[in-house]
Amino acid sequence: MKLKKILQKDVEKLLGEAAKKWQTYVPSKNDEGDTLFAILPKEKDELEKALQRVNLKDDWVAISPKEIFFPQVENMFSFDKERITEEIETSKKLIFGIRPCDLKGVLFADEFFKRNLEDIYYLSRIEDRLIVTIGCNTPPRKEACFCTSANTGPFAKEGFDLELVDAGNYYLVEVGSVKGEEFINLYSAFFEDAGDDEAEKLNSIESDAKEAINVKVDFDKALEIMKGDKDLTENYKRIGERCIYCGGCVYTCPSCTCFNVFDDKLGDNGVRRRNWDTCVFRGYTREASGHNPRDEKWTRTARRYEHKLKYDYSVTGTSGCIACGRCLSSCPVNIGMSKFIEEITTNKRNM
Amino acid sequence: MKNEYLPYKVTIASIQKESFDTNTYKVVFDDEKTRDSFDYRQGQFAEISILGVGEAPISITSSPSRKGYLEFSIRAAGSLTNKIHEMKVGDSLYVRGPYGNSFPYEETKGKNIYFIAGGIGLPPLRSLINMTMDNRSDFGHIKILYGSKTPDELCFKQELDEWKKVENTEVWLIVDKPCDGWGCSIGVVTELWKDTDIHPKNAVAFVCGPPIMIKFVVQKLTQSGFKDKDIIMTLERYMKCGIGKCGHCNVGEKFVCVDGPVFTYEEIKKIPSREKVI
Repeated sequence: MKLKKILQKDVEKLLGEAAKKWQTYVPSKNDEGDTLFAILPKEKDELEKALQRVNLKDDWVAISPKEIFFPQVENMFSFDKERITEEIETSKKLIFGIRPCDLKGVLFADEFFKRNLEDIYYLSRIEDRLIVTIGCNTPPRKEACFCTSANTGPFAKEGFDLELVDAGNYYLVEVGSVKGEEFINLYSAFFEDAGDDEAEKLNSIESDAKEAINVKVDFDKALEIMKGDKDLTENYKRIGERCIYCGGCVYTCPSCTCFNVFDDKLGDNGVRRRNWDTCVFRGYTREASGHNPRDEKWTRTARRYEHKLKYDYSVTGTSGCIACGRCLSSCPVNIGMSKFIEEITTNKRNM
Repeated sequence: MKNEYLPYKVTIASIQKESFDTNTYKVVFDDEKTRDSFDYRQGQFAEISILGVGEAPISITSSPSRKGYLEFSIRAAGSLTNKIHEMKVGDSLYVRGPYGNSFPYEETKGKNIYFIAGGIGLPPLRSLINMTMDNRSDFGHIKILYGSKTPDELCFKQELDEWKKVENTEVWLIVDKPCDGWGCSIGVVTELWKDTDIHPKNAVAFVCGPPIMIKFVVQKLTQSGFKDKDIIMTLERYMKCGIGKCGHCNVGEKFVCVDGPVFTYEEIKKIPSREKVI
C-alpha cells in the first residue's frame, strides 16, 4: 500500500473513534508528569479528559509496553473449595505510539512465550492486537538511547501494522500489514495519500533521526566477545561492587520476562497470581534448603549480561538487548548495557 | 491452547515415612480422565500445590511401569512442604505436569548400570530403578550405591532390601554417622569405591544428590574411566512455572525444567562453574 499521511491535529479524533472499538493503549502523561501507556476510557467525558493526556512526542515512556501483554501482576486463576476458575484476557487491543525498540522487545517476548510449552496468559493477550509504532526523530532518552548500534531503531522496519513518522504538522504513515491496511480503510476519513515526494522526505527524516542518536557502541563486537570464552569475571565483579541490586534495569527492560508465582488467600477463596521477578535479586535462586547457587552478588550481574548478550543470541539468533537504554536511564548508580558493551569492546573502564 | 498452569486435584492414598523429615506420598487423580492421560516418563517431575499456600516442583518417584497412581518423596524443607507433612491420607493436593526430559532408557538396555545417590537424591532415581527392576533381563549388572548422613535418612529402606535380593543386582550403603548395629560402610558415598569395583566398560552411571556429592562422585567416575556422556545426573534448581517461562531455573542457555532436569556431564561442563549446578 502507498505511503499515507494523517494530520497531527486529527490523531486525537482518530483515537477517540478507535477507543470505541478497541481497547486502546496510548502513551499518556500522568499527574506526576511521567508518560506511561494508559487505556483510553470508553465513556465520553472520561475519554475527552484522557485524550488531553496523550503524549506522542519523543518523551521517555518509563515502563516498556511489555506490561500490556505481561502485566506487573496478573491473576492466573481463582479458586475456592469447589473449583478452579482460570482468568484469561483476550480483549481486542490497539497499541498506538509504541517506539521501534520497544516493538522489538514485544516481538522478542512473543517468541519467548511461544517457545517450549505455550504460555496461555501472554498468548491470549496478544491474540487480537494492532500495533502502531511511532519513529523517534530525536532520542527519547538522549544520554542512553543506542538503537542505531543494535539496528533496532530509530524507525521500525518490520513487525508493525502501521508506523507513524513525524513530518511537521502531519505524520507519514507506513503500512506494514494487511491488518494495518484494514485499519486505514476503516478510518479512511482521517487518512490521505502522501504526495510523490514524501517517500524522499521520509528518507531524509530517517537519516536525520539516525544522526540524532548520540550513544554509539560496537554491538556486534560485543556479541562476538560474549559468544567466545573471554573471561569477564573481573568486569562482573567490579560492576557487582557498585550495583545496588534494586532491579530497576530489569523491571524497565522490554525483553525481560521472568516472574514469580504466589497465592493470595482469604478464607476459602483465593487467587494464584504471578508478578515480575528478576535474576538480580538474591532470593531468585534460593532453594527451600537454603542452598543458593547465586548467593554472591557478582554472579547475578554475570547472569544478567550473559543472558541478554550471549544466551538469548545463541538460542534465538537475536540479542535480548534491544538497545532502548532504559537500564542506564533508570539506574541510580549509572550502570547500563551500553556502558557494559563499551567497556568490553574497548577495554576502557567506564563504570 | 492448553492452560499448563492449571493444576488437577489428587487425593493422598497412603503416606510412607522414609526418615525424620521425608515422607513418600502416594496420590491418585480424582478425575479418571486425568488419571489415564497423565503419561509420564522416568525422571520427570510434577508441580505440586496446596491452593493458598503455593507450588513446588517435585520429582515423580513412582515408576511409569506401575500405573494408576503417582508417588512423590517430599522432605519438609519450606513452607509448602511443611504443610504437606501436616496432611493425612484422604486429604487433597493439586498436581500438574509431567514436566522436563527424562532418563534415557531404551539406549541403556544391555548395559551395566550404576545408580549413585546421596540422601534425598534417591527418590528421583527410584522411578528408573523400578523400571529396570520390572524389566530386569533387559539390563546387565546393576549396582546401587547409596549414602546419607545417618541410617535414619536413607529412603526406601524396605525397597533397598528387596532390590538387594534381585539377581545380578547389588546394593551398597554407606553413612557418615552410623548408629548401633549398622552393618554397612562408614563415610561418604565416594568411599564405596574402596569396597566395590566401579567399572566403565559397557556401563552408564546415574547420579543424584546434593551438588557437593555429585561433584565428588563425578570426579571419581571420571577417574575410573567413565566418559562424560555416560555420566547422567538429574539437577535441582529453584523453579516456579515448570515450563521454561518464569526463568528461575535458567542456567547458561538451559532451562532445568524443560531441557533438564536430566543432563549428561558432557552438557553440564558447558555451563559456567560459577552457576554451581554441581
